[in-house]
Amino acid sequence: MTQTEQAPDRQISGAELRLENVVKRYPGQKVAAVDSLSLTIPAGEIVAFVGPSGCGKTTSLKMLNRLIEPTSGTILLDGKDISQESATSLRRKIGYVIQGGSLFPHLTVAANVAVVPKMLGWDKKRITERTDELLDLVGLDPDRYRDRYPRELSGGQQQRVGVARGLAADPPVILMDEPFGAVDPITRQRLQDELISIQRELRKTIVCVTHDIDEAIKLGDRILILQEGARIAQYDTPDAILAAPANDFVADFVGAGSTLKQLSLARVRSLDLRHPTTARVGDDTGPAVRQAEEAGDDAIVVIDSRDRPVAWPWLRQVRHHDTVQSSPRENLVTLDEAATLNDALDTMLTAAHSKVIVTGDRDKYLGVLDFETVTEHMRKTEREAVEHQHELEEQEQEAVSADG
Amino acid sequence: MADTSTTAPAQPAEDELAPKGSGRVITREMTLMLVVPPALVAAVFGAFVWWRQTADLDSVEAQQLRWSELRRLGVEHVQLTVVAALIVVAVAVPLGVLLTRGRFRAAAPVVIGIANAGQAAPSVGLIVLLFLWLDGGFWTAIWALSLYGILPVLRNTIVGIQGVDPTLLEAGRGLGMTNLATLGKVELPLAVPVIMSGVRTALVLIAGTASLACFIDAGGLGEVLQTGITLFRFSLMVTGAVLIALIALLIEWLGRVLELATRPKGI
Amino acid sequence: MWDFISERGDIIAYNALQHANLVLQAVFVATIVAVGIAVLVDRFQFLDPVANTVSAIGLTIPSFALVGLLLPLTMIGALTAFICVAFYATLPILRNAVVGFAQVDKTLIESARGMGMSDLGVLLRVRLPLAWPVIHAGVRTSVQMSMGIAAIAAYVLGPGLGGYIFTGLTQAGGVNAVNYALVGTVGIVLVALVADLLMLLLGRVTISKGIRA
Repeated sequence: MTQTEQAPDRQISGAELRLENVVKRYPGQKVAAVDSLSLTIPAGEIVAFVGPSGCGKTTSLKMLNRLIEPTSGTILLDGKDISQESATSLRRKIGYVIQGGSLFPHLTVAANVAVVPKMLGWDKKRITERTDELLDLVGLDPDRYRDRYPRELSGGQQQRVGVARGLAADPPVILMDEPFGAVDPITRQRLQDELISIQRELRKTIVCVTHDIDEAIKLGDRILILQEGARIAQYDTPDAILAAPANDFVADFVGAGSTLKQLSLARVRSLDLRHPTTARVGDDTGPAVRQAEEAGDDAIVVIDSRDRPVAWPWLRQVRHHDTVQSSPRENLVTLDEAATLNDALDTMLTAAHSKVIVTGDRDKYLGVLDFETVTEHMRKTEREAVEHQHELEEQEQEAVSADG
Repeated sequence: MADTSTTAPAQPAEDELAPKGSGRVITREMTLMLVVPPALVAAVFGAFVWWRQTADLDSVEAQQLRWSELRRLGVEHVQLTVVAALIVVAVAVPLGVLLTRGRFRAAAPVVIGIANAGQAAPSVGLIVLLFLWLDGGFWTAIWALSLYGILPVLRNTIVGIQGVDPTLLEAGRGLGMTNLATLGKVELPLAVPVIMSGVRTALVLIAGTASLACFIDAGGLGEVLQTGITLFRFSLMVTGAVLIALIALLIEWLGRVLELATRPKGI
Repeated sequence: MWDFISERGDIIAYNALQHANLVLQAVFVATIVAVGIAVLVDRFQFLDPVANTVSAIGLTIPSFALVGLLLPLTMIGALTAFICVAFYATLPILRNAVVGFAQVDKTLIESARGMGMSDLGVLLRVRLPLAWPVIHAGVRTSVQMSMGIAAIAAYVLGPGLGGYIFTGLTQAGGVNAVNYALVGTVGIVLVALVADLLMLLLGRVTISKGIRA
């Protein structure tokens, strides 16, 4: 499930982070908050830090951009000791995204995104271009949102701007602290999808702290599970962790072994998509409607000039107009191909269609996933799990009778 | 100053200490303001007494700084302040209550607007104009001081009563209380802290303005300072200034004590 | 009355300007001082009650008393008036600035630091703009309060319209006494009104639309 397999042709723009025996001890406290953490975070991967609250995951994260200075130990970014550089110049090379976006309320959306480029002394034109590019990347129409203030945005939109701001100066490393903690589940899932899609394109090194194991499984190329004192319980890919939890702590924490977890691991891209009738904005409706009728479709997927789905009207709605109409892209609920089946079910349950449009890079239209495909996959998985369980039980019984 | 409203959000819960056995909550600033000014007043007054007894004064200064003279002016100062404050309360609270009743409610913003505009007039100007109109003396000064002190009490009375939770009013009516009973048993008691904070503000304004009463032959401690400036004697200037400041601090302190004492239990 | 004003139009206008000038300069200095102290208070939390108490005590001391205390040091004239006005102007701004800084969301500050802003950058680009609406309200209060204090400071020959009030007082019984006192008093009210409008305008210009109430 790692992106390396998916897109070998993409350039890794991230940098490797290495922690060597990093310790953080607060004065007056007996136990260290972070007790000798050693870890390599490979370039271009998303590593999710998870663990119970107070395990030191946030402290560990904040040591990476020196918001917290380690008591001892070394942190290397791209092979260079980060303590050798001034904290401010280091931080300008590391994107920082925190819960709720933490946008500056007195600055416009564009100005928020431009904070770091401005500090780096980019010229105006370059900043404007970059800002627009990033807003577009996170799915916000620059013309509509550029000059708005944060309070005029929804929570999800604010979080998107937060991500854009973290990416602004094209830093090799991005730190995220509970990035999607402040939004509702549906929005969170969309934001996660978008992050995965962006990452597929950019290949940054992303360190993401979360308390939500599902989020870690979904986002992480690797997951770092921490126990108190930031001691590593397990550090591996989601598949490996779910298949073979290193100890009881990890097993409890991830709830491994359940079908549901397996389900949340399966990605939409591993299922077969359907390809109903599509039409482009501005096309004549006549041929499109005819084509749809022949194929037995009751709705048409409308895509724009950049192959992004913009609307999904029923046939009778299409017939009202001579040309195919567009509508604001934000109103259409879509699913990234990296989304999990869990997300897919959630989305279908809230959408008008019992199907959902699936998109790839830059929101490009890929196809449509329907409910039956998902349930069929679930049944199959469950059947396999039950069979597996039976095998195990039979083996056990054989073992018992052999003893007797 | 809108001190009560601006500082409220700055006082996090842990800054508040609630004495055991009572429902009263005293902020740290309130505590400091109850302790520091009296201590400061005592210390400075002590220093003044020591200086007065040991200083080498010429005849003019000695004449002006006789203890009996200072006491007389001090008493005058307090009389001016207290009488004006009583008048202010007697006028502003009923007026404020009236402006929260039925059809008079619409007039509240107008009255507050006029009072606000009046507050923008410099206190000296008000005193001098009244002097030119009514001639000098104690009661002219009382007129000026009362006019000047009315706004904070009026505004806080209206704000305090309007701030009472409407569900409590309904509860009162539901219990069969008459309008007058709701006012007396629910609205006013709940508004008292806000009203009293207005009274304290008024006291400070009045005590300060009372130091200008000397300009219109109404006495008060301003006289010492005025004489000091006219004769350009530093000893008189500083004495006058210090005594005016001390008496203002004491009156402010009294206002705070009053504020605390009148606060209904449980608020 | 009309004759009185038209005969002296120029000099009254000059004094009105002087009055506004004294107040605005004093408030300007006061704002810088108050914000500076508030920055210190924000850094060293134990100063917070000290600042509040000093400010409350300061506001209690009548301005006439401060004039008396300053005279031996700064003598009669504009300097005494300026210091006196600036002293009182500082207090409401200080109060509001302390509250304003304390209200700035700590996660925004950390987020700014996390993006690589220097301490000065955080102060100038994040904390000050976010606290500004509250500070600005304090500045407005200060301007209004200072108008009356400047009038009292005219007793020791400070500049401005207050002088007319005292002229009216010394000429009591004379033909123009009331005219003088009225011109002084009403003039100050008018100057205060215009200044308040200017402050409102300043607020419109300097408070970001994103945080305006």
